This record gives sequence, C-alpha cells and structure tokens, in this order.
Amino acid sequence: MPLRHLLRHETILAFVAILLLVLLAFQSSQFFTGANLLNQGRLMTEVGLVAIIMTFVIITGGIDLSVGSILGLTAILTGVFWQNLGLPLVAAAGLAVAVGTFCGFVNGFVITRFGVPPLIATLATLALYRGLAEGISQARSVRGYPDWFYVLGQGNVLGVPTQLWILIAFAILASVLLAATRIGRSIYAIGANEVAAFFSGLPVNRTKIAVYTASGFAAALAGVIFVSRVSTTRSDMGTGLELDAITAVVLGGTSIYGGRGSVIGTLIGLVVIQSLKNGLSLAGVKAEGTAVLIGLMLIGAILITTLLNKRRA
Amino acid sequence: MSSNFQEHSSIKPYVRLVDVSKSFGSVRVLKDIAFDVRPGEIHALLGENGAGKSTMIKILSGLHQPDGGVLEIEGQSVRFASARDANAAGIATVYQELLLFPDLTVAENIFLGHYPRKAMGCIDWAEARVKARDLLDSLDCDDLDVDTRIATLSVAQRQRVEIAKALSHKARILIMDEPTASLTEKDVTRLMEVVRNLKARGVGIIYVSHRMPEIFALADRVSVLRDGVMIDTLDIADTDEATLVAMMVGRSIEQLFPKGESKIGEPVLEVSKLNHGRLVRDISFTLKRGEVLGIAGLVGSGRTELALTLFGITPATSGEIRVKGKPVSIRTPRQARDLGLAYVPEDRGLQGLVKSMSINENVSMAALDRIAPGLFLNFAEEARRAVDAVKRLGVRARAGIQQPVGELSGGNQQKVVIAKWLETTPDILILDEPTRGVDVGAKAEIHAMMSDLAAEGLAIIMISSELPEVIGMSDRILVMNNGQVTGMIDRAHATPETVGAAMTKQAGPREAA
Repeated sequence: MPLRHLLRHETILAFVAILLLVLLAFQSSQFFTGANLLNQGRLMTEVGLVAIIMTFVIITGGIDLSVGSILGLTAILTGVFWQNLGLPLVAAAGLAVAVGTFCGFVNGFVITRFGVPPLIATLATLALYRGLAEGISQARSVRGYPDWFYVLGQGNVLGVPTQLWILIAFAILASVLLAATRIGRSIYAIGANEVAAFFSGLPVNRTKIAVYTASGFAAALAGVIFVSRVSTTRSDMGTGLELDAITAVVLGGTSIYGGRGSVIGTLIGLVVIQSLKNGLSLAGVKAEGTAVLIGLMLIGAILITTLLNKRRA
Repeated sequence: MSSNFQEHSSIKPYVRLVDVSKSFGSVRVLKDIAFDVRPGEIHALLGENGAGKSTMIKILSGLHQPDGGVLEIEGQSVRFASARDANAAGIATVYQELLLFPDLTVAENIFLGHYPRKAMGCIDWAEARVKARDLLDSLDCDDLDVDTRIATLSVAQRQRVEIAKALSHKARILIMDEPTASLTEKDVTRLMEVVRNLKARGVGIIYVSHRMPEIFALADRVSVLRDGVMIDTLDIADTDEATLVAMMVGRSIEQLFPKGESKIGEPVLEVSKLNHGRLVRDISFTLKRGEVLGIAGLVGSGRTELALTLFGITPATSGEIRVKGKPVSIRTPRQARDLGLAYVPEDRGLQGLVKSMSINENVSMAALDRIAPGLFLNFAEEARRAVDAVKRLGVRARAGIQQPVGELSGGNQQKVVIAKWLETTPDILILDEPTRGVDVGAKAEIHAMMSDLAAEGLAIIMISSELPEVIGMSDRILVMNNGQVTGMIDRAHATPETVGAAMTKQAGPREAA
C-alpha cells in the first residue's frame, strides 16, 4: 500500500480503533464479548444514522444543529399520533417521520432561499423544533406500545440487533451515494468551492436542500428507533445528540470547512467513541473521565489531519 | 553576467542576493540566484509564471528563508526571520493582491502596526493623519483624503495607499509585484510617475511585470528568471523586447495574435436592450457562428457584468435574448449551459475551478449529466474524456489527470477551465480575461485554440483589458463605457486609437449598436 493511503486520516483512525479495542479487551473481560459488542451496536445506531447524513451536511460546508430536536419532535409525534389521534402505529410513525423530514427541508429552504448561515439557521430551528416537541407533549410521556413495535429497538434479526441492520444498510447506501454518484460529486464540489460549483452549472441549492432534508429524515428515523428501544416517549429525547454526531464526523476526518470527508471515516469515528464510552465504564472509569478523553482525542485527530495536510501542501 | 554599467557601477547595491537557492520539498525553485538593486534604480524582474519570481520576492521580503546563499544589505550578510525584519531593514513590498483593511481609513492603514505614539503609549491620531497627509502629498496624491475608508477607493487609489504605507516604513527598496495588472491606461501613466518620483528620491525599485512597454519606459536594468535560474541581468539600453521574450521562454514564440480566417455563419446569439443594474444598460448586439466578438472597456465599464447577465448569474431585469433564433430566459448558469452557453470566468481560482479537486473532476464538472446519464458516475468514461482534453489542450501536469488543479500553473489552470466548458460542446463561448496571469507560452496556445474553435464554428465572446489582444483576436469589437455600448468596431477599423476613443466616450441617450 503506498504511503499516501497509509497516511490517510481514515487509515490512521482505523488503526487507532483496533488498538483501542485490543486495549479495552484487556481492561475488562466483559468488553470483548459478542453480546456486549452487539449491544453497543444497538446503542450506537441512533447517533450513527444522524452522523452519516451529518457527514454529507458538513462536506457541503454546512452544519445541522437541529437533528436532536427533530429526533425529539418525531418521537413525541409518534406517540401523539398513535395515542391521541388513534392512528395505527405504523401510520403514526410514518407520519411522524414525514414531519421530521419536512423539518429538515425547512432547514434547507431557509439556508438556500434566504442565505442564512447554516449554523444560525439550525441553531434557530434547534430551539423551534424542541419548543414544538415540548408544547405538544405537555410533559406527558406516552407508553404501552404493542409488543411487535419493540422488535425494531430491542429485538434481533438473525442474531443481530434489528436497528443495526438498518444502520448497515443506511451506511452502505450513503457511502455509494457519496462516492459514486452525481449528487455525491456535487456535494464535494459545493463544499470545496460553492461559487465555482454554481458557475459550473451544478444545482447548488437543490443539492443543499436535498442534504438537509435527508438529515431531517435520518434524525426522524432515529427518533422512531429511539422510542422503540426505550419503550417510552419524552420530549427531551435526543438532547445533545447533534454534538455526539458532529464529534463522530469530525473525528472521522471530515473537514469542518467542507469539501473533504467520508462515510467510512464517520463510522470508524463512531466505533471509537462508543467503545471508549463502554470500555472505560466497564473498566471502572467515571463518565467525566471518558468525556475528557474523547475531547482530547478530537483535538489530537484535528492536529494530525492539519499536520498531514500541511505536509502534502 | 554580461552587463556593462559605466556610470552606475560605482554605486554600491543596497540589497544583494549571492548564490541564493530555495527548495520546497524535493522541488528546487531557485538555483544560485545572483541579483542586486542599487539606490535610485528601477530594476525590472521578468519571468514566466512558475519561473521563481514570487519565491525570490518572498525571500527579499522575509517571508521565505533561503536554503543556501547569502542575502546582503549594504554589504552586510543578514537573515530575515519575518516580514517585520525585512521592513526594519528598509525593504517594503506592494503585492498584487493589495493587503489593506477595507473598513479602516487611509491613515489607519498606512500606520497600522507602527502608529505614532504620545506619552503613555496612546496612539497620536492627529500626528498619524498629518504624517499620512505628508506621505500622500509627496506621492502627488493630493486627491486622496486620509479619513476615507479603503473600501470606497478604486484599485489604483488603494495601490497608492500601499505605496505610502511602504514609505512610512522608510523603505529604501520597494518591491512592486505586477503593479499595473489591474489598472486602466490612465492609472498606469500615473503610477509610472509615482515610480519615477520614488526613484528620484533614491528609492531602489524592483518592478515585476509582464508588460514590455512599461519595462522599457521605466527600468534601468532588467533581470530575467527562467525555471529558477537567473538567465541574465542587462542594461535596458542593451536589449530589446524580442530578446527578453526569447530569454523568458527559452524558445521562439509566435507572439502575434493568430486569429485565422473563419467562415462567419448565421447568428447564434441576439441580444436586445438587455438590462441589469447600473452596469448593463440597454445592451444590444448580435453574435454569429465562427465569429470572435471582442468586448473592450475600462475596468468597471460593465464588461464582466454583461457576461454575468448573459450567463444567468445576475439575470437580466429586462430585454431580450435569442439563442439560435429562439427567445429564451436565462435565470441560472445551469439554464445557460443547457442552451449552449459556456462562461470561462474572470476569477479562475474562485469562480472557475475547485482547486482541491483533480483535473479529472474539474473537467467533468459542467458535463456531469453526460458522464452520468443515470445516477451513477461512469469513472472510466470520465477519465477517458479528461485524458483526451488534457492531450488536446496541452495541459501540463506532472501527476496526470489525478493532480489537484490548485498545483498547476496559471496557464494550465486556465486550460482546465476551458476544457471543462468544451466538454459541454457549447455553441457560444464567453471568455473573460482568458489570458490574465498566464505566461507567454500558454497565452499563445490559448489564442491559437480560440482561433481553431472559431474555425470549427464556435461563436466566441472575448472580454479583455489588453488592447493588443482584443484588436488582434476579434472580428468585431464591442466597446463599453459606464454600462453602455459606446462603439462597435470592425476588424478593419480597429486600432488602439479608435478603440481607446470609444472606451472613454459617453453613450448617447439612445445608442444603437
């Protein structure tokens, strides 16, 4: 393998991830067991779905802070549509996901149509969507879903958590979309130089709206899975999720300035974070310690990428 | 070094490079450079893009440190760790892209970093304004107010502020990097006066420029760099333009503009009473197949604005555009492209290219729909097209089509932008300053290519600030001033005088073109 590939951020991070898994396996006998790893996959899915599309958003040079709120709103709406409006649960969840997707579309529309910086636009909708969720829920939680619904969040298919299959399918689809299609190419071009992309006749606004809409969809889907996993619906679900997702994306080597990044990098970033959280807690490290360590890793990752890019330039 | 300077040679150089070398990684950019500048001398520095001029300037101004050789100031070996050290040693630089702060005033910019102080270390604003006034007056710039914000000034005025700023550092040597690249003829004349004035005051000037007339009008000596080697330093009296060009390119070049004969066909673009804002007013013209229509005008006359309006970037507010006889509405570049228009923009780095992407990805960018009729990209087809384009246009890239375009020289970058648009097989090609910042060799290649494309039946609109280029390449010249058409001149009648006169003429109330 040529040095250039070895020095890629993703490759380095993959080695770090493997090293980490080995080290953690020695720290606690419970860590490297099939059951624990699959369970960690289960816990990782919601952030994972959001982070994969967040990769797209960040590659275009944007950011989506509203995903946690969209997740919360979708969760609440699923419960309300089912319990209060009496819709069949499938229809209720479907409708809630549609609303979440629309929330993403609104982000994209505001950003492209009115030229609001994504950070500001989604900071505003972060508050807006969370406010809506709280207003609708009135601090009540919805419980008592039918048993079949829990298959999504708590069950297994072929011995693997159901939602992990969804994450895998989502990841493969997203990787192909980003690497091998016209839309993917446009996303990179927009992030690297939006003006040149526009002058070249690429559909800049349409692509951006599509990306934010997809982000809304991913957050909404994660919302339904969340409800099924924890068997209840509360309006504060998904608070702070956007930061976990962005952390994974940036740790995975996606440039916060846009134009560079990959889905595989984000996935490795997710695995690193999740195994650190789980492995360290099994090894008896407190949650605060883990948070400090993740913060340090993130700074380290950014320093390494910056150094590599300097060398290349 | 075959120079004979009888009367000058007694004057000691202020700054001198002795066998200076510089490498970046494994690439050797400068090799054993010998160069000096004397007080009160204008020393022109010539070289194609990539010859090493910028690196040499950066070494002199403290931004780069040489790997080998010695930098001497008044015979003493020195080492600059930063631009500040160079300033302190009396070397100041006016860069091509002016580095002023747009929201600060003229006086604030001039003294930024070394404001005159009062007791207690407070800035003495009154003193700063008086000193700034004196500096500008000494440059014969009494029309510049020291309290004006930089953002409201023209490029030429900003340049004078930069020069005043350099002088405020008590510069003994002033480096001017392509100072006239974006100036109008009138401003160039004025700048030349300022430069002569500085020379008379004993300032040594390193004058980097591509423009031969200026060099012959100003310089005492001229040095030519090629591929990182100092070819020679000559007294200006001992040389001529042809010799210098030959030294620069190291090969003989057809520097004439080779617009060949092409069959002029039916109209492909008819524009009538087109309007957008203040700089596109009631523009009407017709463009025919196989024709090169030059657009001349001063900076700010509306040339680029017209192109942006035609290409849907700033859509027309009124007027009619017909493409191949059909009335059309162009609201976005995408629509323009689908109608057969192509636009090679003025600012290559910002508007023309995605610099971090490869040649391959840039060439396919405007024609992605053809490479990917479905959802998926056809990588083999994309690579095949890029290889073809690189070969046809003679793009020189060390690493082939996978090389990021940001690493290419200006001329090769421009070829990539043109290749990108030729991939869309356009009927109408708009070229905005196609040879700005492009070296002599690539310039001739681009001109030859335009000629070939016109012969194949492409209709070309060429915007250029270089009069010889417009006059040499165009079948007809549309002249603009103040957003209006002030002349339409045939090839037979196009001379610098006729075109120049139209450039400063005021349009009549109802100008028919």
